[in-house]
Amino acid sequence: MLELKRALDAKGHCLLEMPSGTGKTTTLLSLIVAYMKAHPLDLTKLVYCSRTVPEIEKVMEELRKLMNYYEKEMGMEQNILGLALSSRKNLCIHPSVSKEREGKVVDGRCYSLTASFVRARHAADDAVPICEFYEGFDAHGKEFPLPPGVYNLDDLKEYGQTKRWCPYFLARHTIIHANIVVYSYHYLLDPKIAEVVSKEISKSSVVVFDEAHNIDNVCIDSMSVKITKRLLDKCSNSITILETTISNMKENDSKRLEKEYKRLVEGLRDATIARETDMALVNPVLPSEILEEAVPGTIRTAEHFVAFLKRVVEYIKTRLRVQHVVQESPAGFLRDIHTKVCIDRKPLRFTAERLASLIRTLEISDLTDFSPLVTVSHFATLVSTYTKGFTIIIEPFEDRAPTVSNPILYFSCLDSSIAIKPVFNRFQTVVITSGTLSPLDMYPKILDFHPVIMTSFTMTLARPCILPMIVSKGNDQVAMSSRYETREDTAVIRNYGNLLVEVAAAVPDGIVCFFTSYLYLETIVSSWYDQGIIDQLQRHKLLFIETQDAAETSLALINYIKACDNGRGAVLLSVARGKVSEGIDFDHHLGRAVLMFGIPYVYTQSRILRARLEYLRDQFQIRENDFLTFDAMRHAAQCLGRCMRGKTDYGIMVLADKRFSRADKRSKLPKWIQEHLKDTNCNLSTEECVQICKRWLRQMAQPFSREDQLGISLLTLEQLQSEEMQKKILQRAQGV
Amino acid sequence: MADEDETKEYRWESGYEKTWEAIKEDDDGLLESNVADLVARAKRKRAALKATGAIQLGMMRHLFVVVDASACMFLQDLKPTRFLCVLKLLEVFVHEFFDLNPISQLGILTTKMKRSEQITVLAGNQKKHIEALQQLKDLSCEGEPSLQNSLERAMNGLKNMPAHSSREILVLFGSLTTCDPGDIQKTIKALKDNNIRVSIIGLAAEVRICREIAKKTGGTYNVLIDDHHLKELILSQVQPPAVAGSLEASLVKMGFPGGTPSVNDGTSDSSADHAPAYCLCHIDSETSSLMGPNGYNCPQCGSRYCELPVECKQCGLTLVSAPHLARSYHHLFPIKPFMERAQVPDTTHCFACAKLFLEAETNVYECENCHQIVCLDCDLFIRETLHTCPGCASDPVTAQMKTN
Repeated sequence: MLELKRALDAKGHCLLEMPSGTGKTTTLLSLIVAYMKAHPLDLTKLVYCSRTVPEIEKVMEELRKLMNYYEKEMGMEQNILGLALSSRKNLCIHPSVSKEREGKVVDGRCYSLTASFVRARHAADDAVPICEFYEGFDAHGKEFPLPPGVYNLDDLKEYGQTKRWCPYFLARHTIIHANIVVYSYHYLLDPKIAEVVSKEISKSSVVVFDEAHNIDNVCIDSMSVKITKRLLDKCSNSITILETTISNMKENDSKRLEKEYKRLVEGLRDATIARETDMALVNPVLPSEILEEAVPGTIRTAEHFVAFLKRVVEYIKTRLRVQHVVQESPAGFLRDIHTKVCIDRKPLRFTAERLASLIRTLEISDLTDFSPLVTVSHFATLVSTYTKGFTIIIEPFEDRAPTVSNPILYFSCLDSSIAIKPVFNRFQTVVITSGTLSPLDMYPKILDFHPVIMTSFTMTLARPCILPMIVSKGNDQVAMSSRYETREDTAVIRNYGNLLVEVAAAVPDGIVCFFTSYLYLETIVSSWYDQGIIDQLQRHKLLFIETQDAAETSLALINYIKACDNGRGAVLLSVARGKVSEGIDFDHHLGRAVLMFGIPYVYTQSRILRARLEYLRDQFQIRENDFLTFDAMRHAAQCLGRCMRGKTDYGIMVLADKRFSRADKRSKLPKWIQEHLKDTNCNLSTEECVQICKRWLRQMAQPFSREDQLGISLLTLEQLQSEEMQKKILQRAQGV
Repeated sequence: MADEDETKEYRWESGYEKTWEAIKEDDDGLLESNVADLVARAKRKRAALKATGAIQLGMMRHLFVVVDASACMFLQDLKPTRFLCVLKLLEVFVHEFFDLNPISQLGILTTKMKRSEQITVLAGNQKKHIEALQQLKDLSCEGEPSLQNSLERAMNGLKNMPAHSSREILVLFGSLTTCDPGDIQKTIKALKDNNIRVSIIGLAAEVRICREIAKKTGGTYNVLIDDHHLKELILSQVQPPAVAGSLEASLVKMGFPGGTPSVNDGTSDSSADHAPAYCLCHIDSETSSLMGPNGYNCPQCGSRYCELPVECKQCGLTLVSAPHLARSYHHLFPIKPFMERAQVPDTTHCFACAKLFLEAETNVYECENCHQIVCLDCDLFIRETLHTCPGCASDPVTAQMKTN
């Protein structure tokens, strides 16, 4: 809290690592809200970015509690407006549209009901359907702002239902004057969306990125494009549709096309109302100078532009018809496209904007079909805008199946700082926080910013409730490691199996295991089956396996939880970087132990990764190995952190790889884990590990109540004010 | 670990016991000393809870003891094996149980191979139980236990017991898993509806479902640290629990059989009382023999029993002797809790055991009546075994008051 205050005072960015379950969210919210109240001029808004919808809801609950407390203590209504924003899919209350499952379909249908031209047509002809909620919002909603309070997604929907206003647009509109906004990363990081949603957030805001350990990957993903052959085929289809529509329109209503042409001559600045509804779907990174310029003549008329698009698509198609892997820079790509099909850089830059405009003019209301074309247009714009920090890789086939032709063009962003740079530049304070951010010094480097505060916090605990251990060898003294050379060694695999069986016999309820990859998981499980280890394991617990299929995995998870709940006990085999390792918490009995088999390095043969490593080395002077280790350890820490979700919880963390005990790996674990990782527990054999587990589990099972924490990890008001404590706090503050 | 290996394992192979770590002083101040501290505090809490005089305690208890006999009971973390250690302690428990709760009944179940077996039926005969326990030692432990099956079986035995007695189940659970045929939540609900209280002692680690069962049925759940702690935990179950408020108070018909002839010699008892007869406790067993004139006759039907207390097999009358009831009496009037206080400078030793208070002794305990100071161990001893304050008893004034 102290650190955060410092960062706010200094109006700089900060990086905080706090273990999960220690009240991270509450601390952030309460301090920032208090700061907002104390300095209403310096700090006007809090933007809290989280990862998933359930996490957003959790933040809203905390905020509600805080507000209730304020109300109780101060005895009056608080003049603070907090709201959550999510996609149309989660907010729509239109009777038929909200039934759609897929986000894209909801977006498309919403667009077809609310676009300005649709509404204009409705005014002329009542048969054209529109969304009554949007109409309601448009008619009245803008004049009456939302009363102060805390609104989560359901509250917004309810409010929308009673007023018959569209909650989505209401929320979008309210963002401008709300004090606290909670939404997903993408609304801020993905330039396509950020442009629309977050543009008007004032500079004097605080931005918090929660669970931000993967923020660089999010940044990169939001700027990368992947084009497959199927996508291109779909593009050709949509181009044909465009062509026919244009020719139809020419016959019926050539005036409109002319009007568009004129507008394009004047420039792209269309600050029309249409913007807020129509441009939500198509709007890539537009450097502001593009908006000032006029669209180049070559693509100004609709037919020319369609022909132009056709050429681009055809060109990409020919590029995909390669027999070997090609890697080139955006500049090389531009030169090639110029020589082959005579396309300049300038029109390419305008592709996305021009397409958006065309679709608007043509009054195509169903946008879902055009998403491939939109993707290609984004690609064209991006490739011509950025010459640095990107690379183009064309792979004719996948590495695993070299005989099957499946050409893919990756336009991959190498520099995670590009997407986040506007955020750092614009807002006075950006707080990046997560349970596992270690090693901290890597983030400023790869995101290219200068934090004023960078701290890792530990937990104050009344009992040692985590037990990290590094198991380096089996009972037969053969070293355990997922190193490439020993990966296929049956002795290593058997040792891993024995470790799991023995831990399963000693640990109650749920155990979660993480492997380095799906491939590795499969080979290990099949050889365990041959060695009879699976049979032994099933004597103690039921076995569940995560697969790449999301539905199958969620079914396995449900049954895993059931098995843990009714006392049978279960083991879940999953993959680091998989779905399980990221979003799902195994608190209390669901995860009494986490086993990490091997170090989860990324697949180093991937060309995209190679390119990125090279770029990092050249641009930021980060050695390849450092980055790989950093990446592996943060994922390992993420997996380990799954089992600890609070102070009353306890869990064992077993790191089963010899290499973990090396200093460079160990020092990269979060501080709150390192603190409990004693030297004596760093080089254990299976048997020693199980002995320690047993003893520790018995200690942890002793009754533990709230009173026991008092004075150590829980303070009463008197204790807090006592002189001794004050001294301690002061000491800590200075020590940092 | 393969089970065959377990039986052959030698003492020196059985794993590391870092006994020195238990006495090691911790630098972090967080580790085992702290846990020991927690245990001591829990002990004190338990004592305090029991000592609050206002609650009514059940004098008549019906208790099923469920012993896990699955493969994991062969582990040697308790010496010689978990199973033998538990049986040994149970013998002590049975003895203590009938000593403190003379008019209660007990039954024993085991669970293994996903099934549950009845070893003894609910009965008040302590010898029979102890015999059964001794025979159990030869039982081989195998398979997985089933918590649900054993709870169901115990429930069937307890369901029809009269409402004025308490119904309890004590589970000694070594395994970390349970293999159940159905939804255990339904069983928990049924247990709750039948007012049965389930206490569980875990031998290895905290299992979620056990905690849930204990919590929902109002019992306790504990996990041992070592064999001493286990003994403490098992013996803590000897004390009758507080009665749940819903129990109806009712009059119970009891018989007080006449004493043995040696006492009653010369009085005018009918000669039939002393005629040799078969003892009904042993009539089913092969070793039954004609009893001499010693024994207790049911005042209602005249059946002969060699031991009290017992429920008459013929007419169902509870037969007790007056001293038994008197012994149960202290449950109803427990002594008041002692005051915990920081060390008083003028008393240097414990009143009860004359132990000198060391500097390290942080808390001592004072009786509210006689203001004598005792140490923690004596406090617990007085509460759990003695049931009377030595200070009050030796003080003529308070002792007089009590008898009057």
